[in-house]
Amino acid sequence: MSLKDTVEKKPWVGWVLFLLTVGVVYLLGVFSSTIVERRTESSLVNKPKIKINNLEPRNEVWGINYPREYETYMETKSMDFRSKYNGSAMIDMLDEYPALVILWAGYKFSQDYNQARGHYYAVEDIRNTLRTGAPMNGKHSPMPNTCWTCKSPDVPRKMKEIGIAEFYSGHWEERGSDIINPIGCADCHDENTMKLKITRPALIEAFERQGKDITKATHQEMRTLVCAQCHVEYYFNSDKPKKGVPYLTFPWDNGTTAEEIEEYFDDINFKDYTHQLSKAPIIKAQHPGYETYTKSIHYQRGVSCADCHMPYKSEGGVKFTDHKIQSPLNNIANSCQVCHRESEEDILKSVYNNMDRVLHNRGKLEEILVKTHLEAEFAWKQGATEEQMKDVLLDIRHAQWRWDYAAAAHGAAFHAPVEILRVVGTGIEIAQEARMKIRSVLTELGYTKEIPIPDVSTKEKAQKYIGVDLPKLRAEKKLFLDTVVPKWLDEAEKRESKMPQYDQAVNAEPKSKEKEQTASMLNK
Amino acid sequence: MKLLRYFTPPDPWKIPVFGLLAALLGLGIYTLNIANAFSYLSDEPEVCINCHVMNPQYATWQHSSHREVASCNDCHVPQTSVFEKYWFKAKDGLGHSYMFTFRLEPQVIQIKSEGAQTVQGNCERCHEQLISEVNLADNEEIFHGDGKYCWDCHVETPHGSVRSLSSTPQAQVPNLGSPVPQWLKKLQESE
Repeated sequence: MSLKDTVEKKPWVGWVLFLLTVGVVYLLGVFSSTIVERRTESSLVNKPKIKINNLEPRNEVWGINYPREYETYMETKSMDFRSKYNGSAMIDMLDEYPALVILWAGYKFSQDYNQARGHYYAVEDIRNTLRTGAPMNGKHSPMPNTCWTCKSPDVPRKMKEIGIAEFYSGHWEERGSDIINPIGCADCHDENTMKLKITRPALIEAFERQGKDITKATHQEMRTLVCAQCHVEYYFNSDKPKKGVPYLTFPWDNGTTAEEIEEYFDDINFKDYTHQLSKAPIIKAQHPGYETYTKSIHYQRGVSCADCHMPYKSEGGVKFTDHKIQSPLNNIANSCQVCHRESEEDILKSVYNNMDRVLHNRGKLEEILVKTHLEAEFAWKQGATEEQMKDVLLDIRHAQWRWDYAAAAHGAAFHAPVEILRVVGTGIEIAQEARMKIRSVLTELGYTKEIPIPDVSTKEKAQKYIGVDLPKLRAEKKLFLDTVVPKWLDEAEKRESKMPQYDQAVNAEPKSKEKEQTASMLNK
Repeated sequence: MKLLRYFTPPDPWKIPVFGLLAALLGLGIYTLNIANAFSYLSDEPEVCINCHVMNPQYATWQHSSHREVASCNDCHVPQTSVFEKYWFKAKDGLGHSYMFTFRLEPQVIQIKSEGAQTVQGNCERCHEQLISEVNLADNEEIFHGDGKYCWDCHVETPHGSVRSLSSTPQAQVPNLGSPVPQWLKKLQESE
């Protein structure tokens, strides 16, 4: 007997089946909505107190929603750590390495060059450095607005407002009141999802030219790429994409080794400056941190910048990413020992062991380069011709580029010791080549005695030799900082007072304290 | 065929019965869809955070060196054979979905005996060489996890020591996408 017959004979069986199905459909519906409800929960786990606006540049506003990240970020203020070679305090690198004055003669770096402090000081320090000059009373800064690009979350805000090329054009002092908040939240994060985000066009464009799509990067890759927006080698291209605009460009079209970047610059005949003493067309390396890091064993094993420079931290049973971006040597337990189970002492020893050896050879190259520049200068004084010096100058250009590639990013000696030793090795070879060529030029000119080398062994002596008038530059700078910068800050305060204010935020700090904090940030 | 004939309803019943069965099927598909049911067949670590309960575990693993070589299933599901793997997954998964649906999950999730044996087995699977080198292989008790597990000493591997639901409130984990299709969203926006 089939079900059909049963139902025909006893309809109540049919009704029971019907109602049972209704019950099952109902329960299934309830089940679906519990799933939906619990899915929604995940977005409530981290319920923010306020809605952060697109490209919000004020870090303290983000801090209302993410107090732990903000507090640790604010710790980049600290200047109390010193490792063997670097640290979080400002270090006068010209004083430490007087050779740099000679290597950069004719370039502003020979006036003033410090090892940088934390992100918190980004805006303050670019105002302070002698390299940006003292633009006052109609006199322009020697630097373009492009120099602001990496200093602040105000940059993406302004770029969105006026356009990328427009942002880069003009003199540095023109954006003084616009760029106020130091490197922070909006530089790397999306305000809605907190996902990592690339905000600087140069990196996206460099990826595009290499046929790579940066939007396809994984979360782990992004934890390196957000740093690569700034910690890279770059130059200002005044031809492309807009004539006359110093457009921030990464020279990665051939690749990112020292040789590949050198070839790129040679092909387009680019130089940052002509050396004051040797007349060599020099490429100044900026800070190829990303380029050198990608040649390292840590990178090959999938370790990102953030893994060591922003390790996980727990506080009162809560875990989060430490936003005090700093040397891992100041936090070996959380940075290195997550993977390396050796003692702190052993780890430190092996780090310094690598760095000592790399820096020894880099120092040798530095010494040789100083001699090469001074000897080339002597050859010019003896009456050498452009034709005679052509090869020498190209060698000096290549050797100094390799030295700078190894030196400029500070961390390269640890990040990629093997690659850096290789690059320094080729630099030494090329520089010695140049010295031999200078010797034969001098012989052709009939000079066979020893080449006299002036005493440039300290910062003062070296700067005196190349004619840097430090007291004058410093006095101008002081006047600029005392008169122009306060005006910038006033303008900025007026502008920011029109942005949404968040005093009413639930559980936010008392109004007075927040204001005080903001004020102390602005007065810095 | 015979079975189908057995279940065929009488003529006047046909339309409501088909309607209701179609609703059942449709709702069933919808439930499978919003629950990401098919993703559970894969080994992607993101599957384990379909429900947010495992976010701390995901985030802590993501910050450990194991993320380069082993994802959730490599440790927490037996890798001895494909049958054992899916049997374990089905058994464990049903248990988890039951706990989750009825909100029975504890604040601090702790591994149970069967899970611990599985993880121990997988520690040994990859680190066999290491264990034999340090001469633990002879110590039957330790090698088989009777009494001692690897993580009794290696406490922080790989999840660290803090594992409660509230311990990683701002951990970056990939969130589930919305089940609402793109075209509907666009339609809603335009209105």
